[in-house]
Amino acid sequence: MWRNLWEDLQLYQHLLVIQIKAQLQYKANLSLDIISYLGITGLEFVALLLYFVPFRTLLGWHVGEVAMLAAVMSLSFGLSELIGAGIDNFSVLINRGEFDRVLLRPVSAFVQVIGNDFRLRRLGRITQGMLAFALALHFLPALHWTFFKLLVLGIGIISGTIIFLSIVLLGATLCFWTVETTEITNILTYGSREMLSYPLTIYHQVLQRFFLFIVPVAFASYVPVCYVLERPLPFGLPAELALASPIVALLFALVSGWIWTFGVRHYQSTGS
Amino acid sequence: MTVIIDAQALQKNFRVAKRRPGIFGGLRSIVDPEVRIVSAVQDLSLQVQRGEMVGLVGPNGAGKSTTIKMLTGILTPSGGEIRVAGLTPIHQRRELSKRIGVVFGQRTQLWWDLPLLDSLQLLRHLYRVPEARHRENLKQLRVMLDLDEFIDTPVRQLSLGQRMRGDLAAALLHEPELLYLDEPTIGLDVVAKARIREFLLALNTQRSTTVLITTHDMDDIETLCPRILIIDHGRKLYDGAVKDIRTRFGGERTLIAVLDGSELARLAMLPSAEDGLATLPDLPAGVRLLKLDGPQIELGFGREALPAHELVAWLGARYTLRDVTFREPDIEDIIRRIYEKDLLLGDIGMPV
Repeated sequence: MWRNLWEDLQLYQHLLVIQIKAQLQYKANLSLDIISYLGITGLEFVALLLYFVPFRTLLGWHVGEVAMLAAVMSLSFGLSELIGAGIDNFSVLINRGEFDRVLLRPVSAFVQVIGNDFRLRRLGRITQGMLAFALALHFLPALHWTFFKLLVLGIGIISGTIIFLSIVLLGATLCFWTVETTEITNILTYGSREMLSYPLTIYHQVLQRFFLFIVPVAFASYVPVCYVLERPLPFGLPAELALASPIVALLFALVSGWIWTFGVRHYQSTGS
Repeated sequence: MTVIIDAQALQKNFRVAKRRPGIFGGLRSIVDPEVRIVSAVQDLSLQVQRGEMVGLVGPNGAGKSTTIKMLTGILTPSGGEIRVAGLTPIHQRRELSKRIGVVFGQRTQLWWDLPLLDSLQLLRHLYRVPEARHRENLKQLRVMLDLDEFIDTPVRQLSLGQRMRGDLAAALLHEPELLYLDEPTIGLDVVAKARIREFLLALNTQRSTTVLITTHDMDDIETLCPRILIIDHGRKLYDGAVKDIRTRFGGERTLIAVLDGSELARLAMLPSAEDGLATLPDLPAGVRLLKLDGPQIELGFGREALPAHELVAWLGARYTLRDVTFREPDIEDIIRRIYEKDLLLGDIGMPV
């Protein structure tokens, strides 16, 4: 099993290299894409900050704290967009009948699908996330950093990436049954990214529970950021929950991976 | 000789769900679909020996791709048994995929924006081919397919014929024992077609690769495949030698006679039928006039109507002949006739 995993990772690396090579063929185009994507995502971030012109705080959260939340969200979401473009485009693969080709190769279908695209222009959002994070630090000069806080933040971002990738994979799996799935996935990805760029507690309790326990996007930003900012979690949850982010992310990924396998089997019996 | 493909009583039914419009309609269709059962392949049995080249022919929607998909393990059959290279495709799909190659004429597996060579290198990892073997195979294929002149060109800039050569190389780098070709010459010019056919014949002789071709191009069949399988409505209509098909289902042969110049005046006076074509008086039964062009007459006659020499004698008794030739029916016409009349050829013994 470990040998398989290692071989899959190597294959993924080869697929990435070829994708990057292909995209670097049009350098001017790519840089323009990255810059404009940075511009768009930057504007979104500015719009979020505008709230703090008339108001000092949002339910007790200061501008720097919200900025950190949004920055962390941009980073994990941006990474998932960068890595998961192949999954995101899965409907195209299905509609063109190219998934047949994937099944005709002796390597993992998932690795082939995720390695089918790697969208460098998504670096725009990641750059925005880093700039936003720098700005957040500027607003929060008094914040006390420890090694552990950095670790929690890093793990949180990676877990968030995994959670977003899993959502996109779930959406892709739906393509086996119906063609029109992008909207449903977008509600979950863009919607939750947008919502969780603000403190979770501004929403109704049902939504809070939803983002913590069902589609655990809160573990991608809110939970680790609360740990860093030493803020309490809702429902009296312990701050150490932040350490559970990777477990939550892996569980969620496991569920969506299982559903994906089920979808592939369904595809083989229906051929559509 | 050993059997490489053995399919018995293959069956595939599709449940076709009617889709309702819109997102919510789509969701509702998942939960509560309106289903119709469509039978794409029915009771299809097929045996192919190692090293054979077999043509799979049938109109669009006949069940050819469904059959290929089941043989490759992409699609689960609804019934029947399949063994390909000793494996059960659907359960041993990955294992099988190392031993088969597939080329879809209309879809490339090459990376559009990259030089052909990059794609061919990447395929080594996608098929987990050992490096030395890959290098050796690539070297051979470069020569056989003459890839060197365009191997560094991005695929999107290749001509269709070059791209097809690239795709063939891509499908053969892992040395498959069995090659499925879906419309390999579609859209190619005559020279490119000839080149692909030449290559396939060489491949079949040198590596004794078994080849299964679906095509609409009868020249492909006539040059490549001694054996042909005709499928329509998911059923097998014919399975046998291409040369036999003519004698058994020949349809009309054509006699082309050039008459002496002195007969022109008489020909001009022939009465015309309603469609404007001249009619020859008292033609034997089963013979019809196809064309009358100056001194040239074309007569179509069924194999069962009368022997060819009698027709020549009949014509010779009435006109002075300068030249007589016969044209055998196109295999394409014969197949069209089989589709149209839906001659189910159950009585034909299965050749092995």
